[in-house]
Amino acid sequence: MEQLLDRPEFQSALIPFFLAMLVYSGLKKVTAGAWIWALFAAFLVSAGLINGVTVTPLTGTRKIILLVLGALILAGLAPYLIRQVKLQRAAAPVLTILALLWVFGKVVARMEITAIVLFLAGGVGLVLWLLWTFERIANDDARFHGAGLSLLLGTGLSATAAASALLGQLALSLAAASGGVLLAWVLRGKATGPGRVSASISTLPYVLSTALIGLAAVIFARLPWYALIPLATIPLVTNLVPVKSDSRFFNALVNSLPGLIIALVVSVWVWQTGSSNSSGY
Amino acid sequence: MKKVLLITSLVILPVNSLLAASYTVDPAHTYVSFAINHLGFSTMRGKFNQQSGSLEYDHSSKKASVTIEIDAASIDTGHVKRDQHLTSPDFLNAVEHPTITFKSTKAGWNGNKLASVTGNLTILGVSKPVTLQVDSINCGEHPFSKKQVCGFDATASIKRSEFGVNYGLPGIGEVLDLQIELEASRN
Repeated sequence: MEQLLDRPEFQSALIPFFLAMLVYSGLKKVTAGAWIWALFAAFLVSAGLINGVTVTPLTGTRKIILLVLGALILAGLAPYLIRQVKLQRAAAPVLTILALLWVFGKVVARMEITAIVLFLAGGVGLVLWLLWTFERIANDDARFHGAGLSLLLGTGLSATAAASALLGQLALSLAAASGGVLLAWVLRGKATGPGRVSASISTLPYVLSTALIGLAAVIFARLPWYALIPLATIPLVTNLVPVKSDSRFFNALVNSLPGLIIALVVSVWVWQTGSSNSSGY
Repeated sequence: MKKVLLITSLVILPVNSLLAASYTVDPAHTYVSFAINHLGFSTMRGKFNQQSGSLEYDHSSKKASVTIEIDAASIDTGHVKRDQHLTSPDFLNAVEHPTITFKSTKAGWNGNKLASVTGNLTILGVSKPVTLQVDSINCGEHPFSKKQVCGFDATASIKRSEFGVNYGLPGIGEVLDLQIELEASRN
């Protein structure tokens, strides 16, 4: 059993996928935020298996784990903690940008001024873009989770290909959890939309995790920064899919497909052009 | 006048003998290498190509200390893709923690010979006490530069998980054997 838990496919695919399905199915009648708690449970277990249950030394990767868990808790509790929708709308970008500064501030401060400006502009731009594009699809479950699944899959595979399996596995575990939620929604669905929570705060888990892991793969590993550009178009492209069917399965499939294609093309491209984290060595 | 010189030398000489000579590590003749088990099949070896440091050494007064700073990004296992992976957050996280350091705190002597150096090894910002076993140490005049040079060979074993380098355990070995061959020129 212990040997199975050490294997990446269990840590960042099977366990988060089935755990998220289970938690979502159990909570969907209780709260509109069932998908958030499903992702939280899946990521908590996966991150514990991948990284170990430790926060020391407090590396950038461990800060990302804490921040993603924090973002999921905040998104889950927001309807009870922050009642003003305006405040919720403001919280998402402010918290994500503060998170970027906490994770990357120390490293970026050692860079040249041009690199600092480029990082700040690129990082803030990426966060605002993702928040804006995800907010457009936040009330459509198939599009929202389809885009989340694709973006996290693309980020995870690209990060793995760019020489950090650790960052890659974290994103892939969230992608698997998102896939579990999407499948549970297809099979026994109920709206998972943001309800009283503002669309912005419900997008926080997807936006914060992809922005942090994507930028970490650029700064701490060797992911080319321009690989994030096609990945960042995924929520927008998903929103452009003109199909709307009564079939949940069809909706989930069609709305996920463009994002999945972009994610796979980018990952293969990074794998072939960049440094690859191959088990061959 | 002779008395003054005599008294002065009597005072200075013992003090001088308490001050160990200072040496600067010669990066061209210093090798920090390691060996680690690979998936239970074989031993994988690698080295760091950039390091600096200093040495204080005087066997007569039994004073010795050493500081070594290693550029984490200079890891070299003879395989570029593996080296890139080793500098990533999975292992040495060289962007966030660019330097691996060893700072000695205590020296162990076997007669007049330096036998061990205990100090703090810092990897990923985590400092743990590590003892280097000194296999040989020799000092003398360099035949070409005519400078005073000291060199030593030392080994140590560390558990990488104690420094937070957990990735790939237990397949990629937990115990890392360190080997340091160092030369330093007197300042």
